[in-house]
Amino acid sequence: MREYLIKRILVSLLIIYIIATMQFIIFQVVSPINPVDMYMFSDPRFRPEMRDIVENTFGFNQSMSTRYLKYLQSMFTWNFGFSFMTMLPVSGEMSWRLVNTVLLLGSALVATIMVGIPIGILAASRRGTKVDVFAIGSGIFAWGVPTFFIQLLALLLLSYYSYVWFGFSIFPHGKMTSVPPPADAFGYMADVGWHLALPLITLVVAGFGSWALYTRNLLLDALTQDYIVTARAKGLSERTVLYRHAFRSTLPPIVTMITLAVPGIVTGAIITEFVFSWPGIGQWYITALLNGDYPVVQAVIFVYTVLMVLANIVADLLYGVLDPRIRVGVRR
Amino acid sequence: MTKLAKRIFGTRAIVWSRRIKGFWEEYRHNKIGLAGLAILGVYILVAIFAPLLTPYDPISSKDIADGYSVPEWMAFFSQYKHLPRTMEISMKWIVTEASDAVSVIKNEDNELVVFYNGTGSHSIILTSVFLYPYTPPEKFLVNFEWWAEDVTDARYRMEFFTMNPAGSKFSLWSYPPMLFSPSNTNWTSVTIYSTTEELLSRLGLPWTAIVANEIFNEEGEYKFQLQMQFTSDSTTSGTAKLHFEKARLKIYGLLHGLLGTDSAGRDIASQVIYGSQISLAIGLTSAILSTFLGILVGVVAGYAGGFADEGLMRTVDILLCLPVLPILLALISLFGTSVWYLVMLIALFGWLGLSRLIRSVVLSLKEMPFIECARAAGASKFYIMLRHMVPNVLPVALAALVLAVPAAILTEAAISFIGLGDPSTPSWGRMLNYAFTLGGFRNVGWLVNRGIKSMAWWWIIPPGLAITIITLGFVFVGHAVDEVINPRLRRRR
Repeated sequence: MREYLIKRILVSLLIIYIIATMQFIIFQVVSPINPVDMYMFSDPRFRPEMRDIVENTFGFNQSMSTRYLKYLQSMFTWNFGFSFMTMLPVSGEMSWRLVNTVLLLGSALVATIMVGIPIGILAASRRGTKVDVFAIGSGIFAWGVPTFFIQLLALLLLSYYSYVWFGFSIFPHGKMTSVPPPADAFGYMADVGWHLALPLITLVVAGFGSWALYTRNLLLDALTQDYIVTARAKGLSERTVLYRHAFRSTLPPIVTMITLAVPGIVTGAIITEFVFSWPGIGQWYITALLNGDYPVVQAVIFVYTVLMVLANIVADLLYGVLDPRIRVGVRR
Repeated sequence: MTKLAKRIFGTRAIVWSRRIKGFWEEYRHNKIGLAGLAILGVYILVAIFAPLLTPYDPISSKDIADGYSVPEWMAFFSQYKHLPRTMEISMKWIVTEASDAVSVIKNEDNELVVFYNGTGSHSIILTSVFLYPYTPPEKFLVNFEWWAEDVTDARYRMEFFTMNPAGSKFSLWSYPPMLFSPSNTNWTSVTIYSTTEELLSRLGLPWTAIVANEIFNEEGEYKFQLQMQFTSDSTTSGTAKLHFEKARLKIYGLLHGLLGTDSAGRDIASQVIYGSQISLAIGLTSAILSTFLGILVGVVAGYAGGFADEGLMRTVDILLCLPVLPILLALISLFGTSVWYLVMLIALFGWLGLSRLIRSVVLSLKEMPFIECARAAGASKFYIMLRHMVPNVLPVALAALVLAVPAAILTEAAISFIGLGDPSTPSWGRMLNYAFTLGGFRNVGWLVNRGIKSMAWWWIIPPGLAITIITLGFVFVGHAVDEVINPRLRRRR
């Protein structure tokens, strides 16, 4: 087990290293856009003579190998350098934006699971009924409907049109707080909650179906197993059969799915944050991309990758813990 | 030739036709699947016949009607009923007043030539009448062409004005602006936009006024008049010859077409129609490419085993650790937004899951007796992969293919919606981006002036619905194909 863990961590570090290197190659070696040009272009007050100074400030005049080493060092030490746009350290902005993003997407993930899995269980236990049809339908819906369209519609109806129809917005147009934000702590929290509601609800509506369908299919599979027949034959109540026997056996794949969905807390936010102008990582990422702010872009992708890799390791380990049949590390 | 073809394809073709028939027998009992096929059929027909369905080019034809004009069927509601439709009128001139020394020749193209030959002051008034049956518009445009020749010993002055049913006159244009003595001029094209500040100050209206509102303030008979005055200074007669052509009025409608217009006055229905071409092309091409890659990698990894397997599967592991959408966005913003580049990128990230699936199928196939037979008969690895593995994984790949299409369509839509799409393609995602960033979510100004508060919902909802329905169509079909191919799922029903 320990050996496996060490091997796994080493492989993960290798993956992170490979991806960081690929990023360096893409953004700083083969990129058709020169960041210095981009920077000089961003402000008309920069004169051509100042090019050297800019190159020197950002270290673009150093050799590629030095830059590569410095890049690796800064990536792995959570330093990330300075943003071209704001001239502030990327790591500082990263930390507060990360909080905002996790607040939105984390609560959305929890809510989606809390809604999706019970519906899936209900659908499996009442197979062929309306609940089942609803679960299948919501699964298809989650597959096929663009989330951002649901969000745009919700924004249009519940925020903009509600103002026209009722004279007030049921939900705000976007952003995380009102302008100016309420001064007292309680008011501030309520305000953030009010701004959080619509993105949260739309994410749940768009996403719970896939969880419901997944749970339903797993559970139906489990319900056809022989040990369920045994349990029923023993005279156990249907409830015990469903939760203690069937659902228990579907936990490992569900937990795996949940762990693998965790990095989505950060990566899945781009479009939602764009729609609701939520000041998180995703919105930052898009602005950085449109402005050629490579330090930010690199940092965000790096953080994304680290999270994905971490989640993969955790998922593997949890699977082993939950399902003793999988003896991780003994034989792959 | 046919004999040869039969020898090559004969038995194989029979086998495949039986397979397809059997598949269809199963499929046609699946209602959701049939609904999906019907949806896709409609989209494909729309995509093919797009140029026949709409006369407008989705990108370049701007100002077809006024910006943010509402769909024409909204005229069903009373407050929209009498809103203006786009009117294009080429003016037909009648001489209403003329001195002796002035005469006019008209030709069939409505080109006028006004001759003057005399002494003293003379004038001519040409009038064009048209009926305006709607409530006031927001903007209009007048254009015409003119030039003067053979001007000797004469001065002329032209004034172009319009008169509303109540009799108020609005002078839209005059030449020369001051009284000096113009002579021959070159061909000149004059365009009068109702929204210019120049016109506002010319008419002495406050800067908040809307000229089109002031002029066309009621329904009725409007007159456009062209007055030409000639003066000869000398005692001998002076001459002048003025050409006046192609006078045209365009009133921009506030009700337009099936789905109204966007902020630049482009027809939304035609954008939605042409969007189906882009979506289908992107979805199908990238799905086919990624399925092809998935089969290739899966079969090779599964059958070859060993080093190739290890290498390919570890590559898949690494690629699965990548955050796909952020990386796609970064690559697009760096290397350009062309659609085909996007297709390649989507395909490049789309095959990972499928290759794992195919590999597992191949691994179980590998142990089957018929493969052993083939190997014993001396078939090469390549032959076995191509002739035995690929046909047997195709059904699995088919379901994946169908479900990869909506994923690709949604990815493209999301990228375009963020604003990193190809600006030269009329995709639905781009429409939503424009609607979201260029004012679809603001109260439409001209509606507010008429006491109605509304956003440009006709700009936001149609493209979104178009995406939703096409992806649902593919998901329906994919779901049905999956049920037919995986009997395990079917049994559950």
